Amino acid sequence: MKAIAIIFAVAVLAYTPGGFAAEKWGIDGEEKARFEAKVVDIACELSGNCPANCGGGKRQLGLLRDDGSLLLVAKNFDIFAGGTADLIAFCGKRIVADGLLIKSPKMPLFALQFKRLAPDGKWSRANKFAKDWSKANGGKKGARWFRNDARTKNEISANGVFGIPGLKPDDE
Amino acid sequence: MKRILLRAMMAGLFCLAATSHASAATAAKRISVTGEIVDTWCYVTEIMFAVGTAHHQCAIWCAAGGIPVSILGDDGKLYVVLKLEDDGTNVANPAILKIQTHKVTVNGDLFERDGVKYLFVTQVADDQGIVNLTHAEYGIQPFGE
Repeated sequence: MKAIAIIFAVAVLAYTPGGFAAEKWGIDGEEKARFEAKVVDIACELSGNCPANCGGGKRQLGLLRDDGSLLLVAKNFDIFAGGTADLIAFCGKRIVADGLLIKSPKMPLFALQFKRLAPDGKWSRANKFAKDWSKANGGKKGARWFRNDARTKNEISANGVFGIPGLKPDDE
Repeated sequence: MKRILLRAMMAGLFCLAATSHASAATAAKRISVTGEIVDTWCYVTEIMFAVGTAHHQCAIWCAAGGIPVSILGDDGKLYVVLKLEDDGTNVANPAILKIQTHKVTVNGDLFERDGVKYLFVTQVADDQGIVNLTHAEYGIQPFGE
């Protein structure tokens, strides 16, 4: 129930016009956070293997803060989507990131909700994944991208919702 | 003399740049991990039950959406996967989608930084498929369908 409430809140907020300031999502350990940081390719930052343009959207991106700490951006404002689509245009640049810092004992994560080029670029909502998906899929609405995506549909139809061919919800 | 001084300054700047780049990279440790491929966001935030068959569909959605994928090790630790064998892509990687929720044993290079364990998988040594049958108790996460 908590999951559905949070997902619903995220979905509603993602498509609601409003101010550019982080909203809490009701997650344990969440803190609103706004800070300047450099957008980096995490794998490059760790290993020194650095393809052009942070991997062109194929690599997880992070925020390198002024204190030298590296923060993994795991989420954007779209349902079931990460932050790469929103950050790739800022590869190697400093942005002002606004979102939720998740302070979990398991690991710290960041959910990007808004971003702008530092120090005073124009704010934009971090929902580029669904916009890009919609463009790439003939204008279909991005809000339910996960149900209509060819990759997810193929995978689920091949192996079922539980990932085991032949095992169906009726078998619960 | 002026030219020599200029060359020395250029060499110094080059060394400084090289050092700066090298310092960004951190030392790796070769490890072997056995565990389940999971969605990082759902598991860390605990917004839903996020392991096994009950969460498989959601894990597929999240991986396709570009959320980082991790291995939940039998040691209880979480390893964010940044590379899978020869494939250096780690956003919506089709090969990772194919092994989502599987129990695997992998060899790889571990980088630890700021509370996160990042794993560059060099070899999937064993793939047991999906063995964590959680759907009978937890249904289909998160929507029930």
